[in-house]
Amino acid sequence: MPISRRAFLGFPAALLARPAASGNVLVAVQLAGGNDGLNAVVPFDDDHYARPRPTLRLSAAQVRKIAPSTGLHSEMPGFERLFKEGRLAIVQAVGYPKMHRDHGAAMRSWQTANPAPSGEETGWLGRAADQAWNPAEGNVPAAFVGTIGQPLTLRARRTVVPSLRDPKDWTLTAEVSGPSPAWAAARRVSTVLHRGTASPYPSCSLAQSLRNVAQFIRADLGVSVYLVEHGGPPPGGYDNHANQAGHHAVLLRELSESVAAFCSDLASDGWLDRVVLMTYSEFGRTVSENGRRGTNHGAAAPVFVAGGRVKGGLHGAPPDLSKLEGDAPVALIDFRSLYATVLEKWLGLPAEPVLGQRFELLDLLA
Amino acid sequence: MQDSAALWSPLAPSSARPWTPALASHLLRRAGFGVSWGELQQAVAEGPAKTVSRLLQPPSRYEAFEERLAPLARGGPEAWLYRILETPWPLLEKMTLFWHNHFGVAASRSTAELAGSFISLLRRHALGRFDQLLAAVCRHPALYVSLGARACRKSAPETGLASALLGLYTVGPGVFGESDVRETARAFTGAYVLRDEFRWLDYEHDAGEKTILGRKGNFDIDGAVRVLLEHPSTARFIVRKVYRWLVSEMDEPAGELLEPLAAGFARDYDIARLVGTVLRSNHFFSEAAYKRRVKSPVEYAAAIAAALEISPPAAPLHQRLAGLGQNLFDPPTREGWAGGRSWLNQFTLVARANLAASMLAQARPEAVAEKHGSKDVRSFFARLLIQSETPAPILDILVSTEFQLA
Repeated sequence: MPISRRAFLGFPAALLARPAASGNVLVAVQLAGGNDGLNAVVPFDDDHYARPRPTLRLSAAQVRKIAPSTGLHSEMPGFERLFKEGRLAIVQAVGYPKMHRDHGAAMRSWQTANPAPSGEETGWLGRAADQAWNPAEGNVPAAFVGTIGQPLTLRARRTVVPSLRDPKDWTLTAEVSGPSPAWAAARRVSTVLHRGTASPYPSCSLAQSLRNVAQFIRADLGVSVYLVEHGGPPPGGYDNHANQAGHHAVLLRELSESVAAFCSDLASDGWLDRVVLMTYSEFGRTVSENGRRGTNHGAAAPVFVAGGRVKGGLHGAPPDLSKLEGDAPVALIDFRSLYATVLEKWLGLPAEPVLGQRFELLDLLA
Repeated sequence: MQDSAALWSPLAPSSARPWTPALASHLLRRAGFGVSWGELQQAVAEGPAKTVSRLLQPPSRYEAFEERLAPLARGGPEAWLYRILETPWPLLEKMTLFWHNHFGVAASRSTAELAGSFISLLRRHALGRFDQLLAAVCRHPALYVSLGARACRKSAPETGLASALLGLYTVGPGVFGESDVRETARAFTGAYVLRDEFRWLDYEHDAGEKTILGRKGNFDIDGAVRVLLEHPSTARFIVRKVYRWLVSEMDEPAGELLEPLAAGFARDYDIARLVGTVLRSNHFFSEAAYKRRVKSPVEYAAAIAAALEISPPAAPLHQRLAGLGQNLFDPPTREGWAGGRSWLNQFTLVARANLAASMLAQARPEAVAEKHGSKDVRSFFARLLIQSETPAPILDILVSTEFQLA
């Protein structure tokens, strides 16, 4: 009996084997509520932008110019710096045909990578985790780092995906004996936490989550996908139907400065070359502001991709604001092309089984 | 291979195959969630036949327990976890969890209220008859809501519902085709969920003739369910899942091995008889079954609580078990939890160790050992937890590979 038991669990041999660590890492950042892409990546000299936004429009003087007619919101100095360093790619007008305009269906679409009203129960990164999971190794392909409930993005059929509120959640609280790669990994987390983080981070929950992710990455746990979130539980902080300017500015500053701090932290000892960070939000906003100095649910919007090996710069054409659908930009790049690109070119996973069909890959990664 | 009927005949202990604490513990682990010293001694003294018969019946104090839990009847997953930890009739909860896993109805795909009411329904039939269970499930709103089929219109039959009914709940994959799915969906037209209640709208029912799995008739829900129950694949499919639940997650059993069980089950779909046959059998007490499952998170925590004789508060424990991958009321997909090795990864092993350490810190193991007449706590718990004569620190046992297995 002992022999068959060992054969089943592969213990100690297989659980002792270090997972094929030191692979690439994807950090996905969920922006809940619908980020106003037009006031983040601003087409400041386009009349089609300025005219319908009498109070919310940002002028050339109010943005951080990154291209002849494109500027970042003034509260995003960190993103401006990353952009100039070539570590930030901005993929413009990302979405899918006839985008959902309600939070639930729209967020589900991005989380499951399936905009059709289907019975899809798993998230696209959960399906990726199932692909990367090796039962003999007991590796942990993906983890959620944050304090809200685990987003659907990570729901997997087979893999148990941890939700980590605190980096201490992956340390041992008691002394246990015996050699095990699980104990060794937990002790590496303790060591990293003991050493602390030298780089400064702003004080907000996103920065805290990203700092925790950086520590997990340094502990070399073999996790290839981390998900963090900004904006909280549904409908989410980015949903600014009224008095958008102030709220949005705070969120964009938190996003930009947290991500920039995360990149500097990882760059300081060479880890950034193994990390790609990518944002997603359920939709952009309408071009026109409403009567309450806010905007309503829109459609296509830019996606930010940062890392040591991304091809920095603007990708894809800017949204054509003279051809709107329901007062919002039309998608020019399918979000699943982006997903397929990070799956295949970054994580080395075949995209088709995850996404259900083939999508054109983007030239986004160096 | 041995004659499969002999494998399913009851174990008759002999000097060649003695009834040991290891086998008694094996039986109690599979038929329940945790094993206390008292329960282990009782099962050792009674022998397998008497123990299995006892486990299948509600004990005398079950009624009082039910009354005490009545205020929790509408409770959520925490209330269920409390019931699992405290029940005097663990086999009923073990089979309720089996059906929860089988139907995969989740609070996150319906509502907490519907999921709770669905689980109460599963408990009422958990050791009853599968035909009655299936008929009741097909009239419960949670099934429809969780499968996104709130309105089965004549003009738009719900093929997703039909496909789950065929492929996941009855005949299983590979037996049916697209047209069986469409025709079954037609039989379910007229089924609606309005204000979270099941309603039958006759004018939305397609009363025309259907052909399901080669059978023709003007089937409605009951008619279609009857066709599915009379198809031989249904008993085979359920028996295979019961095998995985009670016997082994590690080996896919041969069809011939399961055939006697399936033939018996198909006669009247008596779940308790099927479970009893399995739990009494030579096969169940053989190496083919022994430690061939991984303890689920709920089983792991319940096993520690029972051995240490503690009653951990259910709400925080539920949160920790969700973190270990078993969020009661919310299996990840309609296929339930994958189970087996998927429970164990480099994170969950650490989280299990931390859970074990915190439960141990709430306990008084020396007092438990002494109460049962042992002064050597390390020997006592080695015997109780893994039936080993080698003394070991309790936490080392709780985190060992051996103890992760059920």
